[in-house]
Amino acid sequence: MRIGDAKQSYEADEAILTSSTQKIWFALFLFALLLFPFVADAYLLYLGCLVGIAVISTTGLNILTGFTGLISLGQAGFMGVGGYTVAWLSANTGLPFPVTLLLAGLLAAAVGILVGLPSLRVKGLYLAIATLAASVFLHFIFAEWESVTGGMGGLSLEPAHLFGLTFQSDFGMYFIIVPLAVLMVLAAKNVFRTRIGRAFIAIRDRDISAEILGINLLHYKLMSFALSSFYAGVAGGLFAYFFRVVTPESFPLSMSIFYLAAVIVGGMGNLLGGILGAAFMTLIPEALKLLTAALTPFYPNAPIFMSPMLEIIFGALIVGFLIFEPHGLAEIWHRIRRFFSLWPFKN
Amino acid sequence: MFKSILSKGRKLAGIGSIAAALVAAAPAVAQDKEPIVFGGSIPLSGVFAFAGVHLHAGLTDYTTWINSQGGINGHPVKYVMEDTGYEVDRSVAAFKKITGSNTVPVYYGDSTGFMKTIASELNSRGSTLMSGASFATALTDNEQYPNQFVPGPNYTQMFGIILEYIATQGKDGEKPTVAFVYSDTEFGKDPIENGKAKAAEMGIEVVEEIVTKPGSVDVSAEVLKMRRARPDFVVFHGYVLSPINEFMVQMRQMGLDTQFMGTFWSSDKLIINKMGEDADGYMGVMPYNYYDSAEGGPMLDALRATAEKSDPDAGYRPTGYMQGWFNAMVWTEVIKRTMDAGKELTAENMAESLASIKNWDTGGIIGIPVTAHDMSFPVGRIWRVNAKEGRYEPVSDWIHLD
Amino acid sequence: MDWLFFGEISLAGLAMGGLYALIGLGFVIIYKATRVINFAIGEIMMFAAYLFLAFAGGMEMSPWVALPLAVLGGSLLGGVIEKIMIRPMLGESSISVVMVTIGIASILVGVVEMIWGADPQLLPSFLPRKPVFIGEMYLAPKIAYGFLIGAALLIVYLLYFRFSRGGVALRATASDQAAAYSMGINVRRVFNLAWVFGSLAASLAGVLVAATGGLSPQFGAIGLSVLVVVIVGGLDSIVGALIAGVFIGWLETVAGAYLGGEYRMPATFAVLAVILVFRPYGLFGTHEIERV
Repeated sequence: MRIGDAKQSYEADEAILTSSTQKIWFALFLFALLLFPFVADAYLLYLGCLVGIAVISTTGLNILTGFTGLISLGQAGFMGVGGYTVAWLSANTGLPFPVTLLLAGLLAAAVGILVGLPSLRVKGLYLAIATLAASVFLHFIFAEWESVTGGMGGLSLEPAHLFGLTFQSDFGMYFIIVPLAVLMVLAAKNVFRTRIGRAFIAIRDRDISAEILGINLLHYKLMSFALSSFYAGVAGGLFAYFFRVVTPESFPLSMSIFYLAAVIVGGMGNLLGGILGAAFMTLIPEALKLLTAALTPFYPNAPIFMSPMLEIIFGALIVGFLIFEPHGLAEIWHRIRRFFSLWPFKN
Repeated sequence: MFKSILSKGRKLAGIGSIAAALVAAAPAVAQDKEPIVFGGSIPLSGVFAFAGVHLHAGLTDYTTWINSQGGINGHPVKYVMEDTGYEVDRSVAAFKKITGSNTVPVYYGDSTGFMKTIASELNSRGSTLMSGASFATALTDNEQYPNQFVPGPNYTQMFGIILEYIATQGKDGEKPTVAFVYSDTEFGKDPIENGKAKAAEMGIEVVEEIVTKPGSVDVSAEVLKMRRARPDFVVFHGYVLSPINEFMVQMRQMGLDTQFMGTFWSSDKLIINKMGEDADGYMGVMPYNYYDSAEGGPMLDALRATAEKSDPDAGYRPTGYMQGWFNAMVWTEVIKRTMDAGKELTAENMAESLASIKNWDTGGIIGIPVTAHDMSFPVGRIWRVNAKEGRYEPVSDWIHLD
Repeated sequence: MDWLFFGEISLAGLAMGGLYALIGLGFVIIYKATRVINFAIGEIMMFAAYLFLAFAGGMEMSPWVALPLAVLGGSLLGGVIEKIMIRPMLGESSISVVMVTIGIASILVGVVEMIWGADPQLLPSFLPRKPVFIGEMYLAPKIAYGFLIGAALLIVYLLYFRFSRGGVALRATASDQAAAYSMGINVRRVFNLAWVFGSLAASLAGVLVAATGGLSPQFGAIGLSVLVVVIVGGLDSIVGALIAGVFIGWLETVAGAYLGGEYRMPATFAVLAVILVFRPYGLFGTHEIERV
């Protein structure tokens, strides 16, 4: 049971971490993140980095879809813009990674604004189709603009570097990806404590009412697009540094759907949900592989049987969460937390 | 449907051997030397599963066989793999997992994308030599991919072999004309530029060039272009099945007497099984003997015997099986050469051993002795479908490019 | 310019467009009645095509028996999907419903891979193979006959909507749910029927398209082209779907023939982008007026 956290000021009520328990847990969590690369093996470290990238991208998409109510099928395309920007810059300018990542985010944001322009006139699903069109065009550009993107063969990158340090291994990349992920999630959290974030939410809940309240719809919708694609661009840039190669096939439509699924499974309009969803969806194939390996001695055909299961589970998670738990993993998390904070008075 | 389920059942039985690989079954012969691990990112599911299932069987059976022969210089061989779904990030995960818990001198990569992605890590590790399902031209670039090789001719070399064959088919001293049809993918575009250059050099005119999406797509309009270009030969690349069948059927309906050819992954028996009569006359370039070819040799016989034993019901084994087996053969040869030279199993030493392979007798897997060139084996033969017999028959001699 | 060539290409494109129109029709019926954008339509087509493969190939039925059976199977699938996965979403935001259909698409791909494997397949050929000439213009027999079958169903369909009781109920529900309900129309049943009929059109088109282009678990990607069709035509307009279907099919083919295969998708999506900017609700769609 958590007691004695009566708020005495508005600031205290708005604080991200409201109680000392929360602060301690958060500190422990950060410490665990810091410790992780020293204890994890190469495989877990790799997955850790993958989750980190997914968290950034999912958070970005969550801003757009979860908080502003604009569904986007272009996330992979925006990530591609970021990835190619980083690849091109690292090959042609030798800039250090903070600069390239920032530029990747900014360029992706610019493209995002361009794609968001139709939101002046269309919304809902029509807008989703506009983002789909954008991802088709982006794929076309990646594949055909050979002098810049290297065509179908794509581009290879030098490792990320800063002050003469190169980040070649996953171990090094972890210390770029995870701090950035933490930073960007916190930044997103802060956005939703400002007028901008509240405007996004108002637009999601009822855009016409929001407009009557004096929110400039186009302005804020475009801002949401820009912010979301900025996140995607940075994630894409990290993706490029991490895998050290980008090709048009690195950013397929299925990737956009993957991130949408992560947002839904995690919990739309909930940043914690985005994190949980990203981690959960990234780790599912690996978990399934463990299950397969465990089943194989008893049922030798398990690998053949289990592989299509991945598609089915992926779909069933989307459908199942939408029907039975529309607020996603975040809601389950809150329920668990509530249980502990009310314990032992509620059973 | 029942029939298809039945045949699927048989296929499933055929890969029961997966169990053995996953639990990394102890070799039949008791040996006390340190085992050598063959690692693999294997696409048992996803778009490449049709081949992945068989190359997995090839690798598994080879492991069984080599262990029955006493392993490599007395070291037993252990084959450790994971399914990847033909997705690069999962492939990388499998690589990290397998190399994390084993010392892996050789590794099977499931796609060009994966092999390019892992290259930087491979180079910095310097402990693993890699080959796999890809015959990408880029991978034979020793500067960028010093630790990766191609278990046969690369796609450019396949085009070279095909064009050499086509050049001999001219009538009245005139060179035949050719059209390239390829998919809009990295795989599909791989050899096209080089192929055009080679054709120009040989005086073969490329009269049409068609790009399509991979897989299911209506190609009626493209066929109409062929009707005007009237090529003597059409070379397909970057497909497994569709739309090769549509081009062949529709162009023949139009009364064209064009001949049709394809590269390794489009020269499997799948074409005959699915197209039936329509497949007759289709030609493919293959670096290995087909499982049911009339050829023989000690290794080819061993392969057939092992395949027969591991799954008596499977019958014919597809090209993926031969490919998997041959990959493992090259690994064995490379490891053996490195060990015999008294060197450590580092990627650099193994790459050197690979480069030293000259006039290597593959025991009938490839019909002539082969020599490694720049991380590839530029050898192959043109085979033609005899639909009545339901198999490919050789129509050229073995062609070894220099 | 070679006009004969252009004519032949156009003809091939128009025939393909006829099939797009049929799929578009299935899409629009579902949207009109239930306001659901069905991203799984490509996968429903795929499922029906695999059923056809199983009936005609595996069980060696006559294709002319297998075809109706497969189409029936596809329609039933549509009905079942509506009943167990779409109905619980009634009243939820359109984003959620769209995502459910995306999830369904993924499930169907997995199920197909599980039953039939991931190998590419060819349907047993059941259409006549003799080339068709219209004047001097050559038309591939498969698409010619595919077009004829599709067009036949299309006409039956339109007549049904115009004159039958079920068709009237469907149209009534589409124009005003509450009014339809108060007039004694079983709106729930209409929702279900819409999915059945929409899937029926898609299923037939699925078998015909797979017969010309082959079949694999990735077949559902054709759904993307259909999205373009219905957005350009207007999501709730049957006429729009027909006209846009034929036009998009034609454009795709002509762009592919003259510019190269990599331009097929960008060409149609460029039209889509223009439409979204200048006529956001499609050429024939109804512009919704929103009130607070």
